[in-house]
Amino acid sequence: MAPDDLEQQIAALHPASFAWALACTRWNAADAEEVLQSVYLSILEGRARFDGRSGFKTWLFSVVRNVSARQRRRRWLEERLPWKAFRGAQGSGPHDALDAEEQGARVRRALGQLTARQREVLDLVFFHELTIEEAAAVMGVALGTARAHYHRGKLRLLALLGPEELR
Amino acid sequence: MTDEDRRLREAMARAHRADRAPPFSRTWARRSPRAARSSLRPLVVLCSGLGAFALAGVWVVARTPPRPSPPVPAFARWVAPTDFLLQTPDLVTLRTLPSLVPAGDPLLSPPHDGRRETR
Repeated sequence: MAPDDLEQQIAALHPASFAWALACTRWNAADAEEVLQSVYLSILEGRARFDGRSGFKTWLFSVVRNVSARQRRRRWLEERLPWKAFRGAQGSGPHDALDAEEQGARVRRALGQLTARQREVLDLVFFHELTIEEAAAVMGVALGTARAHYHRGKLRLLALLGPEELR
Repeated sequence: MTDEDRRLREAMARAHRADRAPPFSRTWARRSPRAARSSLRPLVVLCSGLGAFALAGVWVVARTPPRPSPPVPAFARWVAPTDFLLQTPDLVTLRTLPSLVPAGDPLLSPPHDGRRETR
């Protein structure tokens, strides 16, 4: 794929990629943007290559998910570094700002109570309109596994939200 | 699509309604993850330094020639003051079996059958 075409496709999917990155980072906008920057860098440096075995969106979302997981592991380690202990607690800033907004806050809180895989598959299917098969490819799990997370997550989210939220 | 699915889709849309994607040009132009100034860098440098130090230590130990064996202590060559008592005048005779029968006379020498004479 030519670099210009690649850039155009990435640009077209940028809002959706950001929304997916937000879901992967539990709605932390700063982290989501950082994940996207890393994703774009990986693609440009050729560390992540689209081989055409899946759709472009599916591939891009799987890269976003992998980079997000890597960043989460790095954060986890960073928080345990001895020289980090003296810096004190840092507010999550954008996360709080987003959560403070009324719209969708309850849904986000309910989603936060699901397991990561349940949250991911529901976000991919219900917001990004991927099939369960595509979601499984993004998540790097078997189709049966993705189906199981989808059904359990759906039931749990419906129970958490209740009839009031789902009207 | 079931009614539940439709409601869940609306709920997910509400969850994402506040999403404000940064301009693509900004994200694309930066492409410089915070990883470049990651807090892990000191840890990596520290581990590399410790690893290099350990390797250097192993190399030095492996290269050191074996030390010469220590000199034999003086007490190992010690001679007791009474050792002279063991130096008997006939030391040469005592080390060999004295022959009572003159050699070469077959009539005087008894046949040797390997048995000891008993009295």
